[in-house]
Amino acid sequence: MAEPILSAQGVSKVFGAVQVLFGIDFELRPGEVHAVVGENGAGKSTFMKILAGYLPATGGTVRVNGREVPSEGPGAREALGIVLIHQEFNLAEDLTVEENVFLGRELRRGPFVDRSAMRARCRAVLDELNCHVNPASRVRDLSVSDKQMVEIAKAISRDVRVLVMDEPTAVLTGAETAVLFRLIRKLKAQGVAVVYISHKLDEVKEISDRVTVLRDGRLIATQPVGELTQDAIAQLMVGRAITDLYPVKAPPPPDAPVLLEVRGLSVLGWVRDASFALRRGEILGFSGLVGAGRTELMEGLLGLRRSTGTVLRNGRPVPIRSLEDATAAGIGYLTEDRKGKGLLLRQGMRQNLTLLALPRFGGVLIDEAKERAALDRAVVDFDIRARDMDVPVGALSGGNQQKLLLAKTMQIEPEILIADEPTRGIDVGTKRQIYHFLHDFARQGKAVILISSEMPEVIGLAHRVVVMRSGVVTGTLEGAAIEEAEIVRYATGLKGMPSHDAVVNA
Amino acid sequence: MKMKLGFAAALLAGIALAPLGASAQQKVRMGVSIPAATHGWAGGLNWHAQQAEKQLEKQYPNLDIRIATAKDAAGQANDLEDLVSVHNIDALVILPFESAPLTDPVREVKNKGKFVTVVDRGLTDPSIQNVYVAGNNPQMGKVSAQYMKQKLNNKGNIVVLRGIPTVIDNQRVDAFMEEIKGTDIKVLGMQYANWNRDDGFKVMQDFLARFPKIDAVWAQDDDIALGVIEAVKQAGREKELFIIGGAGMKDMIKRVMDRDVLVPADVLYPPGMIADAMQITAKHLIEKTPVQKEYVIEATLVTPENASKYYYPDSPF
Amino acid sequence: MTQSSTPESSQPGVGRRALPSFDLKLYGPFLALAALVVLGTLANPVFLSPGNIANVLTRTAFTGIIAIGATFVITAGAIDLSVGSLAALAAGVSIMTMNALSPELGTGVAVVVAGVLVAVLLSVAAGTFNGLLVTKGRIEAFIVTLGTMGIFRSLVTYLADGGTLSLASPIRTTYRPVYYGGLFGISYPIIAFAAVALVGALILYRTRFGRYCAAIGSNEEVARYSSIRVDRIKTLAFALQGLCVGIAVMIYVPRLGSASATTGLLWELEAIAAVIIGGTMLKGGYGRIWGTVVGAVMLALIDNILNLTGAVSVYLNGAIQGTIIIVAVLLQRSGAARR
Repeated sequence: MAEPILSAQGVSKVFGAVQVLFGIDFELRPGEVHAVVGENGAGKSTFMKILAGYLPATGGTVRVNGREVPSEGPGAREALGIVLIHQEFNLAEDLTVEENVFLGRELRRGPFVDRSAMRARCRAVLDELNCHVNPASRVRDLSVSDKQMVEIAKAISRDVRVLVMDEPTAVLTGAETAVLFRLIRKLKAQGVAVVYISHKLDEVKEISDRVTVLRDGRLIATQPVGELTQDAIAQLMVGRAITDLYPVKAPPPPDAPVLLEVRGLSVLGWVRDASFALRRGEILGFSGLVGAGRTELMEGLLGLRRSTGTVLRNGRPVPIRSLEDATAAGIGYLTEDRKGKGLLLRQGMRQNLTLLALPRFGGVLIDEAKERAALDRAVVDFDIRARDMDVPVGALSGGNQQKLLLAKTMQIEPEILIADEPTRGIDVGTKRQIYHFLHDFARQGKAVILISSEMPEVIGLAHRVVVMRSGVVTGTLEGAAIEEAEIVRYATGLKGMPSHDAVVNA
Repeated sequence: MKMKLGFAAALLAGIALAPLGASAQQKVRMGVSIPAATHGWAGGLNWHAQQAEKQLEKQYPNLDIRIATAKDAAGQANDLEDLVSVHNIDALVILPFESAPLTDPVREVKNKGKFVTVVDRGLTDPSIQNVYVAGNNPQMGKVSAQYMKQKLNNKGNIVVLRGIPTVIDNQRVDAFMEEIKGTDIKVLGMQYANWNRDDGFKVMQDFLARFPKIDAVWAQDDDIALGVIEAVKQAGREKELFIIGGAGMKDMIKRVMDRDVLVPADVLYPPGMIADAMQITAKHLIEKTPVQKEYVIEATLVTPENASKYYYPDSPF
Repeated sequence: MTQSSTPESSQPGVGRRALPSFDLKLYGPFLALAALVVLGTLANPVFLSPGNIANVLTRTAFTGIIAIGATFVITAGAIDLSVGSLAALAAGVSIMTMNALSPELGTGVAVVVAGVLVAVLLSVAAGTFNGLLVTKGRIEAFIVTLGTMGIFRSLVTYLADGGTLSLASPIRTTYRPVYYGGLFGISYPIIAFAAVALVGALILYRTRFGRYCAAIGSNEEVARYSSIRVDRIKTLAFALQGLCVGIAVMIYVPRLGSASATTGLLWELEAIAAVIIGGTMLKGGYGRIWGTVVGAVMLALIDNILNLTGAVSVYLNGAIQGTIIIVAVLLQRSGAARR
């Protein structure tokens, strides 16, 4: 057995009065892909930050090549070839791709930066990743998945020996994920060790050699992946069997009234002539590739983007020019970007919870008692777990942030909920809670629009599925037709409208 | 005033009014470079320069005067370059912001063959200028001190409010201190009031709180003095002391004229010296009258007896 | 929890709130103020005399009131550099209006009321103008207000012919008590300052507008997605700043009865400094009204103490002011970081 390149012995971590890691032992061998899984709050990120030197451990040791290393910040570990790719990217947004890739170690010719050499090297690295980004473009202008690729290019262009990836595929499409996996296998063949954090157990199963499971800050198991089924891993994560991830579907009766109808809605540059109807008690799924215009369609409908077309509420046309109008029409929106558009990370839970529905809390002055009561209720209803009630929202885990965001949206008591990627980047236990919430919400005689890039989610929850491609609705599936292959056919243009009708040629 | 407010409103509404330049004929061109009207004395300076411009251009139809105002020494150096290269002046009248930094820029102007008149503050190299119209800062300090000595009978407690830390301020204060040396006049406190009314008010309030008995205040500048007067009135201590300002602001001259006991005298440091300098230079340029190498503007003591001579009610200063 | 390094308990936190712990970020400014008071007393016992305290608080009122307005603008993630110039312009126009109206309105209360109204209306209009340029014109607040700072100041210079605009003496007599008078021994400027602070605190902490300002300053996108009318709230914040300038001018004019190009010079920096010393974040999202009040008083106290002591060379005044400001903020921030 190869010597571990990176190892941890009895690592523990205490924040204030709270212990988050309890004596974790961990070993990473060269040429190994080692998955680390666990629910939100299990301590994965904290542990990774300790491994990469971003945080000091409270107890225990970290060894690189068998030698104990003190925590001197990420720079020192990077010099040893240990690179952490953050989920929030670490890129200088206003620099170009090549400047980012070579940031801090620019190639030089004499005293000057050697631009052409850097561009060529950068091009080569990106080609290896099958990434067609122009090295001269600004990072700010890239899509999220391209930024991820640039982050990876930045890591592998260095002399990397250990690559720690935190949820790398959360923002990638299927094809991009395939490219990433090919790359991981190549790195592995070169003897690079990869730590792979993911909530997607099928990916874990596919790419990794061993898996380490953390739960509530404790090491539960480290085992070869081959010995475990996905279900077995999930059970280890939550400590019990997850049998009912998706509730049993309860489709509305065929004569259920239409709560919302959209006719010929267009958003310039994104969506053309989209129409659909939503019935009482229904969960209507929206599927499509990244960039198909689903979010833009909803934002157009909600008055967050300029749009043309007709929106009918209970059969009557309603003009929606702003989110205020949408709120008045009983439509709530759960944004896909909870950190950028959903929550004020530096403010507390109470301020976030009531921000959207503030007019409901008091007259001239805000009724803080009412706010606190609402928070107490939301914490119970949505099972939000926080150290204390005054903690800034940015300190909550992703799952708890998402539940808070959902609670915030519900403060306006909408009849229609548009949930955009409601489970992005959260653990399976929280996902289940959200699925059941959406299910129950629809059963109370309301309705849900569910946008999701996770196919099982749409298939498991939606009563009907609208598929979009390049800004155009290509088909609506119902009943038994809701299955993966069929959705992909519509999403990729094999079925439905011919692609030359599309407004955007992706 | 209504017209002015109207103009201000127009500017606020974003309508720019382009100033109409004088038509360019074959003319004698004179450039005037002075500090912008950022405080009272400089405001007076600007007013006198503009009055002189009007009057001289009327008197000499072929004379074209261009006034450039600058916010600091660097801006003034830029103005000099523009006056020479863009406006092609024949003569320069300059009141330098500071002596040292502007000496070389003025030398450049001189080297291009222009006639140079320096006003108030001397350059570090006096050989550059053709004419020097000198304000007399040390004399201003000295005259103020002499008056105080006489009025206090060489004995008493005073406080001093200084201007902005500059050479001018140092010259005035040094001369003042030199003159009261050897007397029983004691300077209780000294603070900068930045030639500013509000600061004069604040500093004097604090002096009044700090010192139970003050016999006189040397405010050195009329803007400061006006702030001091308000602070003294607020404290109800008008009977205890008197105030000497400086410059010759109309409000202060008026008080002296009206025999205000709080302000028995003022010392001139007239911003009108710029007009004198422009007059001398213009006359020399056009009538070719000979000039003296140096004209010294005296720091005259203004008392109720001679005050009416120095009262310009129309000046903004 | 792949996104955060901060731990959470595994139980829902029903009803649990942090115990009232000592928060340096909140109390830091008050501590610094207390330290300064001790320092002042040591420097000169006169410092604590009622007369001196009244003087300092009274003269703090202008920049203090302006700083309370600035707290809103900064909390909303913007900045207003034009307040000092606007104060000068409003004071100048107010004086000119009173002088011009005195033939019709006499020299009594009516003409003063007219002057105050003009000052307040002009200030609110100018603040709104700034706000509209920022929101509708999509220009950074820094640039907009840097521009209007120059415009307002040169307008007052123009109106005063580079000199000083002075209020006609009989009107001054009527108006003078607004600065020099008071109720129960407390001067009107102090009363106005306290009233503006109280109302400001109420608005910032307890109204939707205040909450929205903080939301916009934290993250404008989140605000937009929370159905907040970002442009309107921002414009209102600038208008409120204008109103504060107007109130400050109302009590400034009777002090010296004049306005010139130097009136209100650097008040914008003083106001911003007071806001930041008070614990409000310059990048927005977090505002403290009482901190701002303390910050403004501190700035005035530093000046006052330096004037009351002869121990330090006057040449070093600026250095001492700068040091105290930096130390005050440093104490606060490092204390916050340690928590």
